[in-house]
Amino acid sequence: MNVLIFATNVKTETCKNKIATFLDANKSILQWSIDQEDIDCVLRIISEKLNADQIIDLLNFHNFDCRELQ
Amino acid sequence: MRTRDINKEELVKEKTIEMIVKYGIEGFAMNKLAKECGISVATLYIYYADKEDLIKKIGTEMGTYFFKSSLKDFSPDMPFAVGLAKQWENRSEFMLKNTDKIACWEILQNSNYGEYIVNESLIELKEIMTKFLHGAIERKEIVPVSKEVFWSIAYGPLYNLLRFHEKGKGLGGTTPFKLTNEIQQEAFRLVIKALTP
Repeated sequence: MNVLIFATNVKTETCKNKIATFLDANKSILQWSIDQEDIDCVLRIISEKLNADQIIDLLNFHNFDCRELQ
Repeated sequence: MRTRDINKEELVKEKTIEMIVKYGIEGFAMNKLAKECGISVATLYIYYADKEDLIKKIGTEMGTYFFKSSLKDFSPDMPFAVGLAKQWENRSEFMLKNTDKIACWEILQNSNYGEYIVNESLIELKEIMTKFLHGAIERKEIVPVSKEVFWSIAYGPLYNLLRFHEKGKGLGGTTPFKLTNEIQQEAFRLVIKALTP
């Protein structure tokens, strides 16, 4: 099981609802959450199959910034 | 893949308690915590989904620890004076050893997380203590009183003495104070006297 952590610009409730539509629909994502209280709006993804680059591509495709936190 | 590190987890818990006491819940932030622990923000998010998740988990763990400490060698079926003496012993030992945790616990209790944390960790303790009180009333070992009056008389004096002890100063703040075994026993005898029919 992979826990992947990203800094994003998903700042508002509207943004959160937008990412929810495609993250919820993705069967490879077992669980996800976003901490909008944090300055980096940290996105946390639990997945068995997906890697960090695939998540970044997914967010970028929907016009969000996303970078892996190390 | 990222893995969990027990030592880091312990450090995170310790620092969380320290920072909540120092800055309050509003001033407590995940990135500040990561910095204090010398770990990356990402590592922190491996353990906890967000600030709320972290506070709830750490608060519940603290409550469970409190619950276990208070029930050490105690049974609700004990004769009243024996059981209460045990409670005084366990509670004062716990309070004296965990001043940081207690300060944090009080902040959490008065926050939005209070209800969740108490429900998650202390329900069973409340049930056991209610059984202890009702048993003592049924056996006519103590006078029938409400829970609130009982708590105020049975534990209020101990917590007040512990507060003086923590400050190191007696009433008025001019004389030094130390909670000795003799003082604790003196107060305990008066509590038993007050509650005995």
